Amino acid sequence: MKIWRISFLTVILGALVISAAYFSEGYLGILVFSLIINGIMAVSFDIPGRSLGLISLGHATFFGMGAYCFGISITQGFTFFPALILSVLLSAVGAFIITLLLAGLGHGYYSLATLGVLIVFQRLSETLESLTGGSAGLYIPETISKLHCNILAAFLLLATAAGHVLYSRSRWGLYSKETEASEEAAEAIGIPTRKVKTASLMISAIPASMAGLLHLARTSHVSPVSGFSLTLSITALLASRIVPARGILGPLLGVLLITAAEEVIWTKFEGFNHALFGLILLGAAWYQGVQSSEAGLNLIKKFRVGEK
Amino acid sequence: MLNSGRIFILTAFGLSDVKRRPSVIQVLISGLFLGGVYALLAVGLSLAFGIMGVLNLAHGSLAVLGAILYKKSLVLHPFSPWIFSVLATPIFLCLGFILHLIIVTPFRNLSLSEGVVASLIASLGVAFILEDLFVWWQGWEPISTYFSFPTFNLFNLKIPGLRAVLMGMAAITIGLSTLFLKKTDRGRSMRALSQDQETASLYGINPGITSMSALGLATIMAGLAGIFYSVLYPLGPRDGLDLTLKALFIVVAGGMGNLRGPAVAGLLLGLLESFAGFFFTYTSTDTIVYSLLIVYLVLKRGRRRQ
Repeated sequence: MKIWRISFLTVILGALVISAAYFSEGYLGILVFSLIINGIMAVSFDIPGRSLGLISLGHATFFGMGAYCFGISITQGFTFFPALILSVLLSAVGAFIITLLLAGLGHGYYSLATLGVLIVFQRLSETLESLTGGSAGLYIPETISKLHCNILAAFLLLATAAGHVLYSRSRWGLYSKETEASEEAAEAIGIPTRKVKTASLMISAIPASMAGLLHLARTSHVSPVSGFSLTLSITALLASRIVPARGILGPLLGVLLITAAEEVIWTKFEGFNHALFGLILLGAAWYQGVQSSEAGLNLIKKFRVGEK
Repeated sequence: MLNSGRIFILTAFGLSDVKRRPSVIQVLISGLFLGGVYALLAVGLSLAFGIMGVLNLAHGSLAVLGAILYKKSLVLHPFSPWIFSVLATPIFLCLGFILHLIIVTPFRNLSLSEGVVASLIASLGVAFILEDLFVWWQGWEPISTYFSFPTFNLFNLKIPGLRAVLMGMAAITIGLSTLFLKKTDRGRSMRALSQDQETASLYGINPGITSMSALGLATIMAGLAGIFYSVLYPLGPRDGLDLTLKALFIVVAGGMGNLRGPAVAGLLLGLLESFAGFFFTYTSTDTIVYSLLIVYLVLKRGRRRQ
């Protein structure tokens, strides 16, 4: 990794951790917290997304799973840390079953199946009213302070980022890249492709479920729509794709961009926030198209500093 | 014959209660009619994917647009759904052309997998934009249209005439599209393009115009499905993505790129939804349907590597 990239990464992560500790209340507290949560989701999404090329449209399934497991544990009388451990364990088991089932699917079918799983969980949480509070959602009392929530989320982001770097540089990361290039060829040289996929997806699922439980601990409320949210899944997908930078820098810069844009959209344009989010999606897709065309490439080169 | 069919259905679902017999048959009929509309919706999506490799996530939103246009037209004149379908066809064809310029043309230089992801994101963007426009245009109230039509009796069974006609129209639309693909030059060009774009271009087929026509045809099907659906059930202005997802799963279950598979799978989904709603609660329908589809995907498609 180049020095400038490491420095830039340290500055971003450091700024987020310091802001998390400094701003815990008010509007800035919420903004920093959502930046960190989106960061965890985008970086964890990027682990299988980048190494295996798997596009999940239902990454928020794990987020919702973590939140609901934590919420149900709290309503059953557990305190914060036992509930945290229990919900991480339960989410890990749930994530393991889901990833084991979906790991065998090809790219397009995998995307569809993840979306299907997201909807199934959304509908289940609406139907199992006695456990989940139905469409209105689950309310829990405050278990830890907002400051502690922010700090825990910031450390989770650091851990996820470290996991991303370590995984991509490990033997399993190389196996993943080989699996993405050609699954048949990878199997022929003895790579256990199914295990590689499951491991990668599990590493991605656990931080997402922990992000969900921290989100509930801070906001005290989760509903089927906010927990198993398609918008959250799409935000993670966009953030990991929108900035064409290699490694972990791409999703982190993407999160800064997308969260800032979302913040403006959700607060300033009431009634048209979906449409504006749609415009961002269109813009992101068109940018990819422009990059691939010769005229577009020439245009981009003109604006790049120091490139002739 | 009909009685043995009844007994088979009742035994299969463990029903021996005489009072419930007519209900089960009615549910079966209702499921078939709903399935006809799903089939129409899914066939359009399958056509777009088979020819252009585009998973158009705005497909369901176009169906909602069809429903809204029909509802608005009723203020001007009490059109029957079939007359309005014919009148709306050119509008949806033009919309399909415009959509092509937004979600297909900009990505023609990308590789196949990159192009699929880019068009998927772009079409999702279009779906979100349309959702807000629908809410702004007609408010949050469900889009429901009413058209009076007699019910007739067949072997002591009440057949809702309107649903039967709509199902017939859905079948005719699918049949005409199949004929168009098989018998016309433009249809043959579409099929050639779906098999090998480069070779098709060498034979003088214009990929741009051909794929634009395919998306136009797919959009017509989406619009008609929306008109028919709104006559049967109310549609919310933000139900587009739900409809798209159902259509996508039908296409996956029936096989991407062909028309017969999704048509059959659409009918099955209609039946499945009706029976799930009958035996369980209405709210559990989606859970059951999507769970079964995921199981199908895992069992069937997981074995076949792409």
